[in-house]
Amino acid sequence: MKAIGLHAVGLLGPGLDDFDSARPVLAGETPLASREVHVPPPGLLPANERRRTTATIRLALKVAEEATEGADRSRLRSVFASSSGDMDIIDRICDALTQPEPVVSPVQFHNSVHNAPAGNWSIATRNPAPATALSGYNASLAAGLLEAATLQLDEGGDVLLACYDVPSMDSFIHVRPIHHPFAVALRLGPVDGAPWQLQLDLGGPAAADPCHSDDLEALRGSNPAARALPLLERLVRGTPGNVTLEAPLGRSLNIRVGP
Amino acid sequence: MDPLVITAHTLTSAAGTGIAANAEALRNGVSGLRPCDLESVSLDTHIGRVPGVEAITLKGELAPFQCRNNQLAELGLRQDGFADAVAAAVARYGADRVAVLLGTSTSGIAATEAAYHRRDPQTRALPPDYDYQHTQNMFSLADFVATRFGLSGPALVVSTACSSSAKVFADARRYMAAGLCDAAVVGGVDSLCGMTLYGFNALQLVAAQPCTPLDRDRAGISIGEAAGFFLLERPSPDTTGPRLTGHGESSDAHHMSAPHPEGLGAATALQQALERGGRRGDEIDYVLMHATATPANDGAEARALVRSLGPRPRAVGTKGLTGHTLGAAGAVGVAQALASLDGGFVPPTAGLKMLDPQLDLEARGEAEPRLVQRVLVNAFGFGGNNCSLLLEAAP
Repeated sequence: MKAIGLHAVGLLGPGLDDFDSARPVLAGETPLASREVHVPPPGLLPANERRRTTATIRLALKVAEEATEGADRSRLRSVFASSSGDMDIIDRICDALTQPEPVVSPVQFHNSVHNAPAGNWSIATRNPAPATALSGYNASLAAGLLEAATLQLDEGGDVLLACYDVPSMDSFIHVRPIHHPFAVALRLGPVDGAPWQLQLDLGGPAAADPCHSDDLEALRGSNPAARALPLLERLVRGTPGNVTLEAPLGRSLNIRVGP
Repeated sequence: MDPLVITAHTLTSAAGTGIAANAEALRNGVSGLRPCDLESVSLDTHIGRVPGVEAITLKGELAPFQCRNNQLAELGLRQDGFADAVAAAVARYGADRVAVLLGTSTSGIAATEAAYHRRDPQTRALPPDYDYQHTQNMFSLADFVATRFGLSGPALVVSTACSSSAKVFADARRYMAAGLCDAAVVGGVDSLCGMTLYGFNALQLVAAQPCTPLDRDRAGISIGEAAGFFLLERPSPDTTGPRLTGHGESSDAHHMSAPHPEGLGAATALQQALERGGRRGDEIDYVLMHATATPANDGAEARALVRSLGPRPRAVGTKGLTGHTLGAAGAVGVAQALASLDGGFVPPTAGLKMLDPQLDLEARGEAEPRLVQRVLVNAFGFGGNNCSLLLEAAP
């Protein structure tokens, strides 16, 4: 595929509050200080909509806001990639369905759709551009990158990719052991004026690259969205090179990162 | 845009198993809806339930995928020689050059619902035989189809509620343009479950009687299930069939579960599909509407049609046959459009007694036999997620 530009990054995870403040950790200069993740309420949504958001929506919108700071949010197309979507709501609705007379909350139900963050993002930014929501299980990041890249190459312009997964609820933690939230967003666009260039190549079976730092490597496997960490390390180190991610169906996604 | 050729397809819905049965029901307006008899659900409504889903057993390496959604997918994949067509595409291009791009809204969540009923009463732990990855996870559907056919091309599941299986057609066009694949298995599957039935009921959008799209007295949706699959390839001397010639996607940016009242986002999607196909509104034989039969949805969509095609456009709603199949709705609509291109008829709007005069559409309760060459298919979802596809007869 042709190269695309990477213009900005958003990040939230344990000990990683945003991309800029996480740079020393990603560069291996500062150890990761593990602490609970605080997800701020989405500033772009009006108050009444904000009250109805879920942890999943807040997580996705936090990194989407960060990656689009200073950009025209009312026009860019968006891709929301998540392995599992809103597991909290799925838990609550499945629990309600075990009752003799099930009562499902209408707000929970409309927030249960995989594209709830995408819908809230388009409402928050008054953006009529196409938005999509997808899953590639543990390879959702690679699937999202390919989706966003094909959108950018097809029509030019900016494309937002947000990739996120919330922790599993108690009853699911053994089935799907995700213990903390993690989210990353990339604002992709034309090569011109971009601080980084990404050239994607969907390859055959190959092992994903580990992180340089042991702290981050421990995080990488703990949430599908944290699979982005080796790429983020490469970005802050500022040297050209390749990063290999796990892609769906046993494939690999090779990303050549250039200045 | 460069068109894609639909070289094979299949549809299984409450209206029929396989494309011949669905085409017959479509032409004659024979509904597959019946009073809700789903074991775990006690609601006063009609559903579009596919016969024979429960009898499907997934074996061998497919066994972990066993759940209603993948059982329905398997039933669909056994029809219409679709498996042979995929095998031929693999032989022609290689397994790693055939993409798997599918849509669903709830994937195999019925398996999770059933597992919650079997939680340990003390620890609340889920039963040990519950397999989240291969059933409820959104990607399960693409994983299942890829595993069944041995495919290893680019793969994803799009889950944008009721536009899911329409948007994958646009994805296939972009993936092919980017050189990521030479063929794509696209489509979608959604299956009946407690979550959607009780959820739509909570939103007060479910009708007690079979749904009646576009009717003056329409009272809400009937929920259905379906599996529709399509094999897409680039045009060449070896590929014949109807074509995807345009697609349009947009967001309402208005409300999570209510359409924009003027249908602005929907109109944008329709106009983009026309522009990509290089067609004017008056070149379209009819629009196969999303037409879910809620008062608000059909009203907003009708305004979008008038806005993009002019006054009194020829329109068809088909959810009276199948119910609203949610994430599979786009695939159902495309398969129905192909049936009408092939059979030479504009389908009836099944269940239509008195066309709502406020819609400013032309719609009929009976089939209209005539040459059909170009059809727009709409699929709109929660989150204000819109997709329109332009299908044309083989040149």
